[in-house]
Amino acid sequence: MTRHPTLLTLAGVLALSGGIARGADAADIEFFEKKIRPLLVERCYECHSAEPGKKIKGGLRLDHPEGWRMGGDSGPAIVAGNVEQSALIKAVRYTGLDFEAMPPKTQLPSEEVALLEEWVKRGAPSPEGPPAALAAKASGAADAKPKQVGLTIEEGKKFWAFVPPVKPVVPAAANNWPRTTIDRFVAAPWAAKGLKPAGDSDRAALLRRASFDLTGLPPTPEALEAFVRDARSTPEAFAVVVDAMLASPQFGERWGRHWLDVARFAESSGGGRTLMFKDAWRYRDYVVDAFNRDLPFDQFIREQLAGDLLPATTPDEKARQITATAFLALGPTNYEEQNKDALRMDIVDEQLDTLGKAFLGMTIGCARCHDHKFDPVPTRDYYALAGILRSTHTLHNYTDNVAKWVDTALPANPAVELELAAQEAKVAALEKQIARLRKSAGAPPAGQAVALAALPGVVLDDQQAKIVGGWSSSTTVKPYLGTGYLTDNNEDKGRRTVTFMPVIPQTGHYEVRFAYTPQPNRATNVPVTILHADGESTVVVNQRVAPPLAGHFVSLGQFRFEKDGAGYVLVSNEGTDGFVIVDALQILAADGRAEPPSVVVAGTATRPKKAAKKTQAEPADPADPAARKTAAELRGLEADLKKLIASGPKRAVAMSVREATGEIGDTEIRIRGIARNLGAKAPRGLLQVAAHGAPPQFSPGESGRRELADWIASAAHPLTARVIANRAWGWLMGAGLVRTVDNFGTTGERPSHPELLDHLAQQFVADGWSVKKLVRAIVLARTYQLAATPPADAARLDPDNRLFTHANRRRLEAEEIRDAMLAASGQLDFAIGGPNIVGPAAAAVSGEYGYVFTDTRRSLYTPAFRNRRLELFEVFDFADINASMGQRAATTVAPQALFLMNHPFVIEQAKLAAKRTLGSGAADDTARLERAYRVALGRVPTAKERALALQFVSGANGEGTGEAARADAWAQLHQSLFACVDFRFLE
Amino acid sequence: MNPNPLLSRRQALQQLACGFGYMAFAGLAAQAAARSTANPLFAKAGHLRPRAKRVIFLFMGGGVSHLDSFDYKPKLYEHDGKMMDFLDQRAIAKTGVGATGRVMKPMWDFKQRGQSGRWVSDLFPHMAELADDYCVVRSMHTEGVAHGPATLFLHTGSTNLIRPSMGSWVTYGLGSESENLPAFVSLSPTLANGGPRNYGSAFLPAVYQGTAIGRAGQKAIEAGLRNVRNPSLTAAEQQRQFELVRALNEEQLRAKPGDYELEAVANSYELAWRLQNHAPDALDLTKESAATLALYGIGEEPTDDYGRQCLQARRLAEAGVRYIQVNYSDNTNNPAWDQHSNLPKHKDHALRVDKPVAGLLQDLKARGLLEDTIVWWGSEFGRTPYAEKNGTGRDHNPTGFSVVLAGGGFKPGFAYGATDDFGHFAIENKVHMHDLHATILHQLGLDHEKLTFRHDGRDFRLTDVRGHVVNDLLV
Repeated sequence: MTRHPTLLTLAGVLALSGGIARGADAADIEFFEKKIRPLLVERCYECHSAEPGKKIKGGLRLDHPEGWRMGGDSGPAIVAGNVEQSALIKAVRYTGLDFEAMPPKTQLPSEEVALLEEWVKRGAPSPEGPPAALAAKASGAADAKPKQVGLTIEEGKKFWAFVPPVKPVVPAAANNWPRTTIDRFVAAPWAAKGLKPAGDSDRAALLRRASFDLTGLPPTPEALEAFVRDARSTPEAFAVVVDAMLASPQFGERWGRHWLDVARFAESSGGGRTLMFKDAWRYRDYVVDAFNRDLPFDQFIREQLAGDLLPATTPDEKARQITATAFLALGPTNYEEQNKDALRMDIVDEQLDTLGKAFLGMTIGCARCHDHKFDPVPTRDYYALAGILRSTHTLHNYTDNVAKWVDTALPANPAVELELAAQEAKVAALEKQIARLRKSAGAPPAGQAVALAALPGVVLDDQQAKIVGGWSSSTTVKPYLGTGYLTDNNEDKGRRTVTFMPVIPQTGHYEVRFAYTPQPNRATNVPVTILHADGESTVVVNQRVAPPLAGHFVSLGQFRFEKDGAGYVLVSNEGTDGFVIVDALQILAADGRAEPPSVVVAGTATRPKKAAKKTQAEPADPADPAARKTAAELRGLEADLKKLIASGPKRAVAMSVREATGEIGDTEIRIRGIARNLGAKAPRGLLQVAAHGAPPQFSPGESGRRELADWIASAAHPLTARVIANRAWGWLMGAGLVRTVDNFGTTGERPSHPELLDHLAQQFVADGWSVKKLVRAIVLARTYQLAATPPADAARLDPDNRLFTHANRRRLEAEEIRDAMLAASGQLDFAIGGPNIVGPAAAAVSGEYGYVFTDTRRSLYTPAFRNRRLELFEVFDFADINASMGQRAATTVAPQALFLMNHPFVIEQAKLAAKRTLGSGAADDTARLERAYRVALGRVPTAKERALALQFVSGANGEGTGEAARADAWAQLHQSLFACVDFRFLE
Repeated sequence: MNPNPLLSRRQALQQLACGFGYMAFAGLAAQAAARSTANPLFAKAGHLRPRAKRVIFLFMGGGVSHLDSFDYKPKLYEHDGKMMDFLDQRAIAKTGVGATGRVMKPMWDFKQRGQSGRWVSDLFPHMAELADDYCVVRSMHTEGVAHGPATLFLHTGSTNLIRPSMGSWVTYGLGSESENLPAFVSLSPTLANGGPRNYGSAFLPAVYQGTAIGRAGQKAIEAGLRNVRNPSLTAAEQQRQFELVRALNEEQLRAKPGDYELEAVANSYELAWRLQNHAPDALDLTKESAATLALYGIGEEPTDDYGRQCLQARRLAEAGVRYIQVNYSDNTNNPAWDQHSNLPKHKDHALRVDKPVAGLLQDLKARGLLEDTIVWWGSEFGRTPYAEKNGTGRDHNPTGFSVVLAGGGFKPGFAYGATDDFGHFAIENKVHMHDLHATILHQLGLDHEKLTFRHDGRDFRLTDVRGHVVNDLLV
């Protein structure tokens, strides 16, 4: 590890102050030799002395004065004369809690700690240099300079991936095989290696391949028929179907899915306490739409990294750009992590890891704790980038017990804004009407005092709370709940509290809301403490701003309370900067499982909810018919209001990030990656090894994400265009030109065809970063259209098919397997976009646990929970969506076979597919079988297959006859087609 | 992804004949180590002479109070009810300073037990009787103050980053000894607190992923391997369908000779068929004697459910499963043992697990299996010596807690390390979770510093850059 210059300077100062030691008198030296050195030898040298072949732990040497003066990775161990500032003393006292387990085994006896303290107080005297005996032992290690481990920046700039692409010479065609430029690059090395290409793929196999590759779906039997019979030449006919597929919305669904893998898209957080990402679908739709619109990829990058900072000409565009930043927010964040500094740096790390792999094919994360061991990424570069993301808020705040991401309200276009305004007006009018009616019915008017019973859940008035100190009751500021509210009169700070003590009869999750009446004279920092089953949480409430919920409440969060547990909510006026108001508390069942608690306060049960409602709507005199009529009308209007709110347009919010206003700036290097172990500040910046153009100027007012995005999304960046071009090649050809698609670094593979890669990258940029043009160029190359059967000698000469003499058989991915079965059964729902988490789970915080997957939409829309996956996804290599995934794993395991043989979903789709086959109007079983084969495998059966299948459905060696048996036999046949090898592979 | 002529059909078949039929074509990500043997799950030797072959981990989700069970602290009685300053970890994580708490004495009486005279409370009366058979580490400490981070740390060695779970590492290091069963099984795992990540293989090849049997909240009697029964066909009907699939596959392979990946898919059906017909036996308790069932508390409440899981664990151990985790948990974010406000509830949980755990230990011992099986009983952290405000519960304590280790070369009737007078911080012979991981790997014959996997350009380990083998715990 190279030491940071600032650290060296500091060490230099200390070396001077170390002069104390030089002037040390004999008594001091004796003290050191008698008391301190033996202690250091016994307690510390095992890890902190230089011995050949042994690692010095934490970079700290205690066998040499320079060692403790200069210190280790965490800075100087000793500040001579200053006990409190000396890291060594902190460590042995066991109070520096960010030191892990130091010393590792046992706390030092207190008398030894005292000796060390005295030594430091005396100025840490010692003879100069290591004692002879030790010096000999340490020879070799003592003066060893830190070893350069990775490449230097200068060396790195010569590594192929960091050398900007140059326009390659297109090889001449040796014969008439090549059809396009790509073909000429691919065919060029064949002759020298003695290789020849395979034959062209047959039309049926080609269409099935292209159809899955471009739309993720099998071709329909009709499309297959038409393409096979098309009188035009294959290239001509194929270009037509390719263009149709590129123009279809299914293209964006398929290619969007690829990107969602890279972006580790999910709809819940997973790790730790999993939370539902209820608006993540907007990002998914954004991605699908971007591919369908062929949004220039450089713009796609900019929007995902800095959409919130980009100019927009329409509200829709702004909304899209904000939505795009969910890219940074979708990680598997452990919101529950209690060390919020660590959490914040973990999020930054996850973002750097994801964007590094996604856009640059680099493993930046390695440099979090030390300089990258293989790639030219020093720790300083890591923290230069980290400064940009730390100047960005990914969490709503960094203090919540369970943190939450940033939701941003989306602007709407004028038409929708009008609708929203109309809705708000309608709601207001109805509310007014209700208020008028309520007044005439003798119910307390809204806007004055609001009856507690008018509110859902259970509401406790301030009068039902335990009061400590001199609070006064007031009704000055309206509207308030129940009988007025309490105020601390802005005095006696720290000595007045109000405690609500509900008795919870049933364990469950509840939302806790707190009511106050806002005014400019209120406190901005009222601490409200909730004791719940998970511990204690304190939420700070600003009472100067209007409470956002129902005009009265602010949500304190959702908490779990145990039955008969000791939960309470305590409002204090400690340290507050204005009037503290306590109006009421509301408790709502949060997970739909638990009923609202009947709350008992100080021995008095409040009115149960149902009875309460009745009281509210009932007129003063229930015997009066007119009053009864008014009450009925009131009930009707209230129901209308509820319906109106539920059905009317709502303002959309999106997961996003935002600028960390007030905290924007450079961040410190974290020594060894430990969040609170701060080193010198690293100025915000980019990776030096891939620097291009003038270095950006980071403004003190902006995070720098915009500069980061511009740097990545630049035609001059050596990596970006190559990385995406290589991804596209890999997704279509079964292997990238660089097969380690997420790693272009020194530990990754080198490109098999560097010139072709540069050609693709440069052409991509020249074509306006158009993904569709890139995809089209690849699939229209003859290379893509080769048969999958290897030509003679290819297996021997090029066993990995790195020279693409034939197509790589590609395995269907989990979604393609599911979608193909649903297509065969006719159940596939082609609806595009929109939310797809249904049922009560949609409203629950942790709704994924019990989620029942029922929809038959394309698998792209299957709720993407991290902890509860669709079983089919789990079985077919799509279980883990926690990290960016440039290529899916492809395993062959028995549970896949078991799934296809026994899972009810497969059995059901087979039955429905059989029904379609039998009802298709095909003339006979042979025709039916051909149809079944076209649907499932995209081809007609061979003679042998035909014989086998017909024998099977005729029941020649099975049991039972009649229509039911026949339907069963056909269902089993369809299931066998789903199970067979050819279903799972593309030729 | 390509036909590989270097691998013959015979080799391909050999690969598939092993393990749970897992054949990972991990391609580029695969390590030389995983590729070097034909089958990545083929049983292989570790780095050291092993003392144990397998692990049964009895996970007590939520945090059992060590102060009310295995770590006897007389000072707690003396100071019961006093308000004192403590370095509360939750407060420190958030604010950097500690908090005041009310000291709370243990709720269950401690006694010295057995020949060894080890202190164990009445919370676990059956386990208490076996005090001479296991070792208690009283100086555990770990990372993560909340359940999610600490549970992930326990299983993967990291609070937040995506890392393989311990069972996956062990399977990666040692392979499987079972022909028909997965090498790594988690019984009734929770979906909460990291959920599948706790038995996930992360960046290790998927072949090392743990297999969940059942899930938290589901009765063990209803849990089983998935998809091993066809819901609508008779055995004869399915046999006929299976023959059709086999014949179709043969025909399709004939058209594409030499593609061993296709052959592997075809062969996975052979294995699936065998599995379907044999694997469920491993979980079938009907052949167990009445005495055995009674030993585990099966057939009586409240021990039936966890008893079944423990007995299944023994059967899986006998069948050669390498790493078996038996979960006592639920699907909430505040799992079973998490008594913040109502510590007496610990008794309910203890009643469910105590007899089954003791039964498992006795049964393993009687069958000679305890010799080479490590039984690890414990939580993600312990609990605080002080009560939460106004409550009768204890908060999370990652700085000091106890685990129980039996068999596999751990010293029986032995207690190691100590917490401070209040049982808050481990202070003597501290054992970090990384150290426990390193020590268990060591007993299995694996050197935690050598058990590495190259990913994203660097070598990863279960113990990150830390961990020491605690030799003092070992026979």
